[in-house]
Amino acid sequence: MKPIIQTRLIHWKKQWPSLIFWLVLPLIATLFIINMTSIVQEDSKIPIGIVMEENTPMANNLLKSIKASPLIRVYDLSESEAKQLIESHELDSAFVIESGYQQQIKDGNRNRLITGYQSDLSFAYTPVSEMIISYVQQDTGKAKAAHTIMNVAENIDPDTRYSFDEIINKIQEVQSQENLIRTNFSFSNMVENDHKEELTVWNIWGLWAIFSILSTLLLSDWIIKEKYSGILPRFAFIRFSFKSYLIQNVFLYSSILFIFDSLAALGFHYFLNEPVSLKLVGAIIAFRITCSAGAFLLALLFKHIYLFYNVSFTLVLWITITSGAIFPIERLTDRFPWLTYLNPLHPFLNQEFWGLWMIIFIVIIGIWFAKGEKLNA
Amino acid sequence: MLNVQSITKSYGKKQILDGISFSIQEGEIVGLVGENGAGKSTLLQILATLAKPTKGKIFLNDQAYDEHKKNIRKQIGFVPQDIAIWEEFTVEENMAFFEKLSWVNKSKQQLKQLCIDMSLDKWKEPVHTLSGGMKRKLNLAISLIHDPKIILLDEPTVGIDLKSKKEIANHLKTLATEQNKIIIYISHDMDEIISLCNRILCIGDDPFYQNILESSGKHIVTF
Ligand SMILES: Nc1ncnc2c1ncn2[C@@H]1O[C@H](COP(=O)(O)OP(=O)(O)OP(=O)(O)O)[C@@H](O)[C@H]1O
Ligand SMILES: [Mg+2]
Repeated sequence: MKPIIQTRLIHWKKQWPSLIFWLVLPLIATLFIINMTSIVQEDSKIPIGIVMEENTPMANNLLKSIKASPLIRVYDLSESEAKQLIESHELDSAFVIESGYQQQIKDGNRNRLITGYQSDLSFAYTPVSEMIISYVQQDTGKAKAAHTIMNVAENIDPDTRYSFDEIINKIQEVQSQENLIRTNFSFSNMVENDHKEELTVWNIWGLWAIFSILSTLLLSDWIIKEKYSGILPRFAFIRFSFKSYLIQNVFLYSSILFIFDSLAALGFHYFLNEPVSLKLVGAIIAFRITCSAGAFLLALLFKHIYLFYNVSFTLVLWITITSGAIFPIERLTDRFPWLTYLNPLHPFLNQEFWGLWMIIFIVIIGIWFAKGEKLNA
Repeated sequence: MLNVQSITKSYGKKQILDGISFSIQEGEIVGLVGENGAGKSTLLQILATLAKPTKGKIFLNDQAYDEHKKNIRKQIGFVPQDIAIWEEFTVEENMAFFEKLSWVNKSKQQLKQLCIDMSLDKWKEPVHTLSGGMKRKLNLAISLIHDPKIILLDEPTVGIDLKSKKEIANHLKTLATEQNKIIIYISHDMDEIISLCNRILCIGDDPFYQNILESSGKHIVTF
């Protein structure tokens, strides 16, 4: 193995920029896309201004509930700032939580608690205000309940007195524990996603796998270059047959790629909080073997390097499409479940070790190697 | 001693070589001539273990080719007709590459000496910037890394200038006389063959070659 490493290093000395590029591409490209899409998601939230005229637990609680809504982004502003931003259409709408909010609720007043601002271009004013009203109604409802409890308690046992705040706190505690009340709002054209369990590459490891297949294929071009470099006649007179030279180099490449696969797992763990498990490591090893073996076998079929590049890109595109990344293919996979098993990404994305393609590739390479050397005639 | 006993080679029904026998002593340089398609390269391939004869036996120091192929290969330096080197590597890297993969360990200095011996003085230059003559010299130097007993050359000087030709020829003469190598040399250049070789094997019955070669006074064998 040592001579193989030494001689490969001579090659890599000439190729290191492109080598490094393809080795880090899967990690970098995945991080980039995941960041981009989460930025896009952030951008598609509706900007709403909230003006806090008072700083009481109840008012702050209301603000927190509003901020928790997934479809809006909330800015804390002063009233004049809010008006200005609505005029310049940087905010869709704004809502003022008026001073005396908590007291008014306590007193059972339901007028002039919140003031809303909108422009002629606002489209979220109505659903957002309805959402806020529903939160306020929760507060007024709680207040009513608290008063009722206080009255009842006084009638039953005049000696024990509960304060209004105690009761409100208790209600809130129960509410958060039991999740009794839930308000969601959605736009009529936005269907809430309830994700089914399905094969999708539109996630971190799915994207990574696609890029990883691409870079493994393109890094396998040395097989074609060296097979047709004219040095083949020399292999009869050195210590390695051409086949064992190839196999050992594929092993070396796979090891280097595996190091970068592991770096990707660490990178995703560090930047995106992806969990790292033993099962994942097993799946990565299996994926690496499948990928490297497949790329090797494919490269063996080619004589012209540009044709190989073209086929590689086409193949990656095909795998991407049949994985449902570009348009959904559930209809197809529902009718032909075996399509899922044909997909080379299937075992990896399910974090399984054994896959159909890995077994096929290993068997073919075994046969190819056992057939011996043409030069040995 | 290389001993070739009634070698026959056919591709399908087409017979290329028909009952060729000869033997070559250590220190001898033997030229192999004949018209295009006569079977010179085919014979050299057989002597290099790269092709099997249809009939016949070959022995190197009493070791039969078909029984000790691996061992025989270690003693063969084959210089392919087409240049077999890494174009993007320097001379040094080419030598290092094939030394690492060879059966022997050689120091950088020894490898460099191998090149200097045949007046290949470029060491750090990438091969693709070298002249045809330089490439041919490197092509030969790589084949000599593992100190082979037999050196088989298939038109090693085709298309290069006279000076490089002479330098290669001089080095081959040194290898034969000082290191007792067995050298078999294919060329279409009769002057080169006459000045370099002790003996000449002529494949094919074309009297053309005999007429040219006879005047040289060398020992000629025709098949
Ligand atoms: N693998 C093969 N299959 C069939 N025929 C072959 C094969 N290799 C060589 N030949 C034929 O054998 C004959 C001898 O070829 P060879 O290359 O040995 O000739 P040569 O003497 O080296 O010619 P040249 O001077 O052109 O190099 C040619 O007619 C060639 O077509
Ligand atoms: Mg020839």
